[in-house]
Amino acid sequence: MNARWAYILGGFIVAGIIVSYVMDANRTESVLSFSLRYAVPLILAAMVGIVCERSGVINIGIEGQMLMSAFAGFFGAALTGNLIAGAMIGVGTGMIMGAFLAVGSVTWKMDQIIAGTIINILATGLTSFFYAQGYVLPGVMPTVAVPLLKDIPLLGPVLFNNGLYTYAAILIAVILWVLLFKTIWGLRTRSVGEKPSASDTSGINVPRTRFINVTLAGGIAGLAGAYLAIEAAGTFERGFTAGRGFTALAIMIFGAWNPLGAMFAAIFFGLTQGVASQLQSDAVFEIPPQFVNMLPYVLTIVLLAAVSGRVSPPAAVGKPYEKD
Amino acid sequence: MHRKLLVATIAAGALLLAGCSSSTDDAATETATETVAEETAVEEEAVVAEDAAATVTADDSNCAAPENYCIGLVTDTGKIDDKSFNQAAWEGTLLAAEKLGAFTKYVETTDPKDYANNIAQFASKDYDTIVTVGFLMAEATTAAAAEYPNVNFIGVDQFQGAPIPNVAGLVFAEDKAGYAAGYLAGLMTKTNKIGSALGTDTVPPVKLFGEGFKKGALDANPEAEVTLVYHEPNNAFNDPEWGAAESRKQLDQGADVIFAAGGNTGNGGLIEIAKDPGAGTTVFCIGVDIDQYFTVPQAQKCLLTSAEKKLVAGTEELVLLSADGALPAGNFFGQTGIAPYHDTEAAVPADVQAKMVEILEGLQAGTIDTGCPACLDN
Repeated sequence: MNARWAYILGGFIVAGIIVSYVMDANRTESVLSFSLRYAVPLILAAMVGIVCERSGVINIGIEGQMLMSAFAGFFGAALTGNLIAGAMIGVGTGMIMGAFLAVGSVTWKMDQIIAGTIINILATGLTSFFYAQGYVLPGVMPTVAVPLLKDIPLLGPVLFNNGLYTYAAILIAVILWVLLFKTIWGLRTRSVGEKPSASDTSGINVPRTRFINVTLAGGIAGLAGAYLAIEAAGTFERGFTAGRGFTALAIMIFGAWNPLGAMFAAIFFGLTQGVASQLQSDAVFEIPPQFVNMLPYVLTIVLLAAVSGRVSPPAAVGKPYEKD
Repeated sequence: MHRKLLVATIAAGALLLAGCSSSTDDAATETATETVAEETAVEEEAVVAEDAAATVTADDSNCAAPENYCIGLVTDTGKIDDKSFNQAAWEGTLLAAEKLGAFTKYVETTDPKDYANNIAQFASKDYDTIVTVGFLMAEATTAAAAEYPNVNFIGVDQFQGAPIPNVAGLVFAEDKAGYAAGYLAGLMTKTNKIGSALGTDTVPPVKLFGEGFKKGALDANPEAEVTLVYHEPNNAFNDPEWGAAESRKQLDQGADVIFAAGGNTGNGGLIEIAKDPGAGTTVFCIGVDIDQYFTVPQAQKCLLTSAEKKLVAGTEELVLLSADGALPAGNFFGQTGIAPYHDTEAAVPADVQAKMVEILEGLQAGTIDTGCPACLDN
C-alpha cells in the first residue's frame, strides 16, 4: 500500500478511536479488543502467505493447513490433557502440512495452485472423517497482563492484557519484518522469490531455500490453527476456520507482502468487523444487519481498489524453478 | 515419469479421502449401523414384550402385512447419539414404537447425497412410517413421498410449503421458545443489559428466536437494553470463534445474560461465557434448540437454560398419529419451552421459576403475543 495513503488512513483511524474513547471508554476498549482478537489468526495466516510468496511459492492451502493443525492441536490437547502439548502438536502438524506443500511445489514442481488445493481438500476430508464429538479441552489458556504497560489508558487493556498467542502473533510479525528486510536470510529469501536464476548464479540453493521457508511457514499456520481451537473458540468443529485462510491472502496483498503492513491490514479488517458488530448491537441507525455485515468487505475492496496497481507480488511467485 | 505418477497418486488419494470422509463406504458402514440398530431395537422390543402387547412386530421381513407395523428413521449427517436432533427424534420414535408394539430401525446418513437411498431402504421394504431428521432432508423427503404414496413420512424440522397428503412436517414456533428464554433473561439480569450472538437473520427460524427473545426480555423488564447481533450469512452456523469474540465483547460492555443461538457459532459463545469468572453466579448464557447442557458440556457452568424445541414429544406424537391413520398433512407445530436449569437452578429465585411456569403456560395457550411472525418483516 502506498505509504502516504497508509499514513493518512492511519491518522484518521487513530483520531476516530481517540474521539470514541473520550465519548465512551468501555465501549471503545471492548470493540478494539474484539478487533484485535479477530485479527490474530489473520495476522498469523498472512505471515504464512508472506513467507511462502516472498520465497516464490503461492500457498492457497493456508486454510487447510490451519484446519488440520487446529484439529491436531485440539484433539492433542484433549487427549494429552495439556494445552501446551496441544499447541506443539498443532505447530508440528502445520510444519508437516508445510512440508507437504514444499514437496509438491518445490521438489516435484507441481502446479502450486493444485498443490495448495489438495491440502485444502485433504484437510477438510481428514478432519471431517476423524472428527469425534464429546472431547473437551483440559483447561483455559491464561490471560497475561504486562506489568505497568497494562495501566496505560486505552492501549493497556487492549494490547497488554491478552493471551500468549496474541503477543506471539504481533512478535512474529515484527520479527519477520526484521528478518526479511534486515538479514541475509531475508535477502536470500526475497531474491529467490524475485529472480531465482540470479540467486542460483550467486550460489544460493533455490529449491532448498524454498523448501525450508515453506515448511517453516507451515509452522506459523499451525500456530494460527492452535490459536483458533485452543485459545479462541475453545473447541474444534468441522470447517470452523470459516475461510480465514483465504481472507489472510487478501490481507497479505493489502499489506503489500510486508509483515508489518499485513499486520496493520489485519487489524484494520478486524476493526471494521468490530465496528460493524457494534453498529448492529447499538442499532443507532435502523440499518439491516445484512448491510452492516457487508461493510468490512466493501471497505476493504474500496481501499484495495484505491491503492492497487501500486503493489506488485514477488516476480517469480508461482513459478517452479527450473535450471536452464 | 515416476514423479508424475506419484503426484497423480497423491492427488487422487486426496480426492478419494475427501470423498470418503463425508460419505459412504455404503456397504460396510451401513451394514454395521444396521446391526447396531437392530440390537437396540431388539432390546426395545424385549421391553415391549413385557408390556404384553399382543402384536409386537419382530422384524421388517413382512412390513406390508397389516398386523405388522414398521417405523424407520433416517438421520441427518451425524450419529444417532448426537445428543441433538437425531437422538431426540429417535427417542421419540422409540417411545411411540413401544406403545404401538412396532418394529423400529434407523440408518445413519454420512453424506447428504445418500438421503434418497437411505429413505428408499425403508420405503422399498414397505415400512409404514418413515421419520427423516433435519431441514436439509426436506427435498429428499418430498421426492420419496411422491414415489411411495402408501408410506407416511414425518419430516422433523421440515417446513411444508404446499401440504402433501402423506407428509407431516414437525415444526416449531421458535419465537415462543425465544420469548420464554428472553423473559427469563429479563428477570435474571442485574445490569439490565442483555446480549446475543446469533446465526444469520436471513434464516427465518434464527430471526424468530432473536426477535422473540428481545420481546420476551423487554416484556419482563422494560428497563433492559437488549442487543441482537447476527453473524453475516457466510459460515453463519460454523464460526464458533466469532460467537466467542462477540459474546466476550458484550460481556465487556456489561451484559450479564447472553443468548447464543446459531449452531456451532452459538456454541462458541456459550463456551466463552462459561470461561468468565462470574459464570453461573453473575453471568449467564442461554442455549438453543435442545437442552445444550448435554451438547456443550463446557458451558454447563453458565448455562441458565436453552430455548428448546420439544423434539422427543413432537416426534412421538406424530408417529402415533401416523399409526392411527391420522397423519396431519402439512405443518405440525410441536411444543416449545425452556430446558431445565440444571447447575444454575440455585441461582434462579423461586419467584422467577414460578413466573416462568406461568409464562410457559401462557405461550402454550397462545395468550401471550410474541410479536411474531410479524417480526420477520422488521
